[in-house]
Amino acid sequence: MSSTRNRIAGYAFASPWLVGLVLLYLFPFAASLYWSFCRYDLINPPQWIGGENYSRLAEEIASGTGFGQALGNTAYYAAVSVPLSIALGISLAVLLSLPVRGQAIFRTLFFLPSVIPVVAASILWMWLLDPTDGIVNYGLSSLGLGQPKWLESPGNVFAAFWQTGSLAPGSKDALVLMSLWGVGNFMVIYLAALGDVPKSLYEAAQLDGAGPLRRFVHITLPMLTPIIFFNLVMGLIQSVQAFTQIYIVSEGRGSPAGSTMMISLQLFLSAFQHLDMGYASAIAWLLFVLLLAATLLLFRTSRRWVYYGG
Amino acid sequence: MHRSTLQIAAILLLLGVVAYAASLGDKQEQATPPGRKEVLFWHFWGGADRATVEEIVRRFNESQDEHFVRAIAMPGNNLDLKFFLAVAGGDPPDLLNIDDPVIADWGARGAILPLDAFAPEHEVRQAEAWLFPAARRLATYEGRLYALPNGLDIRALYYHQTLLDQYGLQPPETLADLDKIEATIAPPGLTSYERHGYLPDSRRLWAWGYVFGGQFYDEASQTVTADDAQIDAALQWMVGYRQRYGPAEIAAFRAGDQSLPGKAFPLLSGRYAVMMDGQWRVRDIRAYQAAQAERGEPITQFGVCPLPPPPGGRQRAGWVNGNNFVVPQGARNAAGAWEFMKFWSGMGHEAEAAQTCVAGGWIPVSQQVAQQPQFQAFLKSEPLFAQFVELAGSDNQYPIPVVPAGPFFNNEIKNVAEQAMLGAAEPDCEAMLRDATRVIQRQINAARESEE
Repeated sequence: MSSTRNRIAGYAFASPWLVGLVLLYLFPFAASLYWSFCRYDLINPPQWIGGENYSRLAEEIASGTGFGQALGNTAYYAAVSVPLSIALGISLAVLLSLPVRGQAIFRTLFFLPSVIPVVAASILWMWLLDPTDGIVNYGLSSLGLGQPKWLESPGNVFAAFWQTGSLAPGSKDALVLMSLWGVGNFMVIYLAALGDVPKSLYEAAQLDGAGPLRRFVHITLPMLTPIIFFNLVMGLIQSVQAFTQIYIVSEGRGSPAGSTMMISLQLFLSAFQHLDMGYASAIAWLLFVLLLAATLLLFRTSRRWVYYGG
Repeated sequence: MHRSTLQIAAILLLLGVVAYAASLGDKQEQATPPGRKEVLFWHFWGGADRATVEEIVRRFNESQDEHFVRAIAMPGNNLDLKFFLAVAGGDPPDLLNIDDPVIADWGARGAILPLDAFAPEHEVRQAEAWLFPAARRLATYEGRLYALPNGLDIRALYYHQTLLDQYGLQPPETLADLDKIEATIAPPGLTSYERHGYLPDSRRLWAWGYVFGGQFYDEASQTVTADDAQIDAALQWMVGYRQRYGPAEIAAFRAGDQSLPGKAFPLLSGRYAVMMDGQWRVRDIRAYQAAQAERGEPITQFGVCPLPPPPGGRQRAGWVNGNNFVVPQGARNAAGAWEFMKFWSGMGHEAEAAQTCVAGGWIPVSQQVAQQPQFQAFLKSEPLFAQFVELAGSDNQYPIPVVPAGPFFNNEIKNVAEQAMLGAAEPDCEAMLRDATRVIQRQINAARESEE
């Protein structure tokens, strides 16, 4: 009786959160699965159409149009921005761990970009990356370097190099650059992790004659692998779900030439501009499955490279 | 004692601020007068335009004893999303102003009502006859008016007369003239350019496609025709500039074409001799010339002309969009909305609408408004703006086709043109347009199936 009453009381106190979970998470989750098999425009009742939305997605993936293009764009963005943000985050964290004067100030300055609202930062970047008037191209011009067209070009550095032999950053590269600017969140996590590396390991290695580079490769990096893994998973999810900055810099349409049409933007436009809620739900579910598969793959491969120190 | 006194003073000050803020709110939320029915009106105008809108609302309300319009300003780019969700939720406003190509999308799904569902039939017939052809096209879906346009946005070429004079050039009357302007001011083959005569903006394939004589959609057969020969010719002509100057140079141009907030009109600085843009730029020119006069500098001269056609193309042609009043399913006072729509657009209220268009710097949707003495006087003082009003009356101004999936159609055409103009690979225009036609057709078909 007492344990039953306690259990009931426990659920009662947790009920606000439970109600929120059911109404705002589980119900939409289940509803979108149903809608992904329907034709539904929010005004008229959903009509069951079986796997039509999914077969359309499959066709678009095969042809590289619509969702296929969005998938390609998103894959590029994730594949470039996630590794770079991990590398940059670790580099900054290591540098900012050095016992130099003004360390706290530098840490604060590098973290500041992460607290600027995404909308404001996006508009700021549109100014910075303007091909003719932006300060970035002005700086590159001063150094005698090229004048990338950034957000005005549908190309990217790899395609440009392959086709013309020159590096010509385009719109997706601009988005990568924008995402790197917000690396402060990851940096802070690495800073905390660096503080947990036992100093005795460095001392022992130094006594054995290991230089700074070998200490970094054999002590710092292995000890950071759990955090790298965490940031890899979180970074992958964040890059695949990135929306706000892309919506703003692409005028809400994936411009130029659909080169910034990411999965999240494709989903949003399908749902609220094209009024194709069923197809949008199918995109959401496919995105969920893809991310789940990628995350599971990362967890599985992590057994080979993530070191959990004793 | 001191701390206590300060705390009391702070609390009193805070209460005063709150009371003051509340009183401000009270002023803005005027109650609906007794005996009148409210018309809830959503719009996106902010800044100076918002004051103009509120003045129009005030004039309407003063003229009424049956309805009372309450205008809610929602600046930003998601008004259509809020509206659609309000309709889906069963609590819509009575009236909405939109400028997106969504009339068919919303009409097909029953989110907005055709005018004949709530307005007297003879008045709907009157509206069809009364509107400019361009305005009628903008609002008609499957033969029925689903909106009453209240202002048109027209594109034309602005030219920098002073600059053309320096090069001994004339304003363009034919497409060849336009090509000559660019070739003279910016000869192909240079390593860098500080100025261009004209560069096509990829997004304007909509305009040039119509000028070249093309049609993007066949209403009778419900078929997308974006791959027709004239549109292909228009895209080929645009791509000719890419071939002469390179995609990188074309990309830099777009950066100067109002693509960023607060970006100045590039024509003013003479970076271009000719640019395509809408009637709202007349304000920028007027302000620029006023500033020059104030500084005692020579006044730079600008002009406006229709988009010059190639041989066999359409005269006084182009792409049109504009502001449309729509009434949602579930509106509680559609009759009142209709009265306000007529008042603002001008049907039966031509003199009031002329005043509205002068105040807002807007192009009217009917010749009956344009010919009002007050508006004619305005045009005499604004010769550049008069050119746009003249074009608004043309029979060759076309909107994005009013079909379900209109926004998708719009975006795909822009994507094709952007890829052709800016992509690294040499474009195959015919194949790209054919592929886009197929993709757009599929989307329209899917959207139509939602109707059934």
